[in-house]
Amino acid sequence: MAVSSEYLPAAGGTQAEHHEGEHNPRELLMFDPLPRGVMNDMVMESMHTTSWRFWLVLGILVFLVATCMIYAWGYMIAEGLYVAGVMRPAFWGVFLVNTVFWIGISHAGTFISAILRVMKAEFRRPFTRAAELMTTFGLIQAGASIFMHLGRVWLSYWMLPIPNERQLWPNFHSPLMWDLLAITTYVLGSTMYLFLPLIPDLAMARDRSTGWRKSFYRILALGFRGTEGEWRHLSTAMNIFAFAIIPVMFSVHTIVSWDFAMAMRPGWSSTVFGPYFVLGALHSGMGAVAVVLFIMRYTMKHMDYFIRKEHFDALGKLMLIVSFAYAYFFFNDYIVQWYGGDAATDNLLHWLEEGPMAWMFIQMVGFNIILPFLTLWNKRLRQTPWLLAIIGLLINVGMYWERYIIIPVMLTINRMPFTWRLYEPRVEVFLTIGTFATFLLFYMIASRLIPLIPVWEVQEGQMTHSLRKVGKAHVPTISEFE
Amino acid sequence: MSDTTMLALFDEIDPAANAIEKLHEMGVGHERISVISGVPINPAMLGRPHPWTNVSRLAMGGAIGGFLFGLFLNWGTPNLYSVYVGGQALTPIPPGLILLFEMTMLFALLATFLGVFLESYFPNYRPLEYVPQISDGKIGVFFQVPQEDQGKFVDVLSQIGAESVEPHEARPL
Repeated sequence: MAVSSEYLPAAGGTQAEHHEGEHNPRELLMFDPLPRGVMNDMVMESMHTTSWRFWLVLGILVFLVATCMIYAWGYMIAEGLYVAGVMRPAFWGVFLVNTVFWIGISHAGTFISAILRVMKAEFRRPFTRAAELMTTFGLIQAGASIFMHLGRVWLSYWMLPIPNERQLWPNFHSPLMWDLLAITTYVLGSTMYLFLPLIPDLAMARDRSTGWRKSFYRILALGFRGTEGEWRHLSTAMNIFAFAIIPVMFSVHTIVSWDFAMAMRPGWSSTVFGPYFVLGALHSGMGAVAVVLFIMRYTMKHMDYFIRKEHFDALGKLMLIVSFAYAYFFFNDYIVQWYGGDAATDNLLHWLEEGPMAWMFIQMVGFNIILPFLTLWNKRLRQTPWLLAIIGLLINVGMYWERYIIIPVMLTINRMPFTWRLYEPRVEVFLTIGTFATFLLFYMIASRLIPLIPVWEVQEGQMTHSLRKVGKAHVPTISEFE
Repeated sequence: MSDTTMLALFDEIDPAANAIEKLHEMGVGHERISVISGVPINPAMLGRPHPWTNVSRLAMGGAIGGFLFGLFLNWGTPNLYSVYVGGQALTPIPPGLILLFEMTMLFALLATFLGVFLESYFPNYRPLEYVPQISDGKIGVFFQVPQEDQGKFVDVLSQIGAESVEPHEARPL
């Protein structure tokens, strides 16, 4: 299984072949091909290699999931929602903050995989799966957070349109029902979209495994061989998914925003909440992808071949563009409310700028807008993986605060000052840690069970890229194979 | 005179395309040839006909089904189980469009996914014609020829650049 060292890219690559200052195309993954078998070996080795640190982190996560997720949730179910901090006036608390946050994280997978696939952005190839996994696992946390918020979770089936003797029927005019439908569509759609391009890589893993792994991959690969028909059906389906999942993605976070925007509350009633939420979701999702790619590159074997500075550079550009768009919608939402002259809204805005939660508002603006503007325009900074990961992490902190401000803080500063009471999360803190631990645990287990790099897509990309001699220079060229 | 299945393995697309052309010249038709590969290869590059797929039709069928189901949920069921809320109409159009959209997309995506299974005969755990080298980037050309002509085909395809040409039997994956 070990990869022969003759194939591994040497530090500095083939820099010596190029003059100083001249761009070396072989720094780019698409122009630095390795034999497919070697790339397969690298990916399989990365899946099979675990150190004591891996098991230590896994053990800590299992402990956190057992205590902060399973025990804490069980305790809340047994005791009732009074152990949570939600009470008048903030009946929507951290559970819904987490729901919106995790749905936001999940948008990165679809954006990177679907939109970049449709636009044929080649840099996407090695990290589409890592992003798609974030979508699926993020949505699981979002779903769990909604069930936590329900309290009596065993009655959640009341939301389903099942004919019954109680004569209960879901009200399809309610944004909460739209949530159920949109999130269900998105969970199923994104999981299927994760699985389809995974099938050829599962077949590759089947061919290179023994024991229980062989049986595992054999079942999941479904008998895929790579016939002309199988590729045709698969690529047709992936094209349909790539186009169809984009409006679904937009609909999900727009509908989530309508949970708030449909209500006549200070801070909530806004016509730009839909696109503002979608942009916010992409912003946090992109940042999370930067963090995941950094962790993959530095903790998993051979990932430095697949995930390179060019990918962080491209991701950094995307983050900057999304940050511009986010800033636009934030300011658009803010300035209209600021000019509106509504007394309750004025109260809210003053409270955000000068009140006890001002630190949260300042961090939100600082991390989501000012930090990306100050750093991501610089190529050198974008190409520094650890720095991009820190920026991504801080963007997510800022985006979490944004959701916190929108939900419990805006519920607190309402039109009835006698009800104002700061929301203080209680068991929610543990359950929040629980959702993060569950997400990371799922991701770590998945990283050792399924190929995180779509090897066939990388090879397909490398086959279509070549260097063409024009005059005295070799110019990168892309062919259209489809 | 019984036919036997042969497998020729190639490293590159060009010799594989030449081999398929040569097979045609030697009287082996498209229907007796199949190609498997570790990456999608445009059939035109190999001089092969584009395989037919019904996945997009199934997706369209799913979308229509989802649309009709959405219509039923939106404008049918409220009359069966009436829930009047705050003086709202029982079956308003604008909020109904949201459910209609979600159901249409959900059913379209499900039909697309199931379409791949139906069209590719997934899951299939029976013995199949396959070699693991395919997932290492080789291109496999399977063809059926009369048993007594095997040697002739081995010679010709080896000259064209086949890495190996040998009889092949289906085996468990």
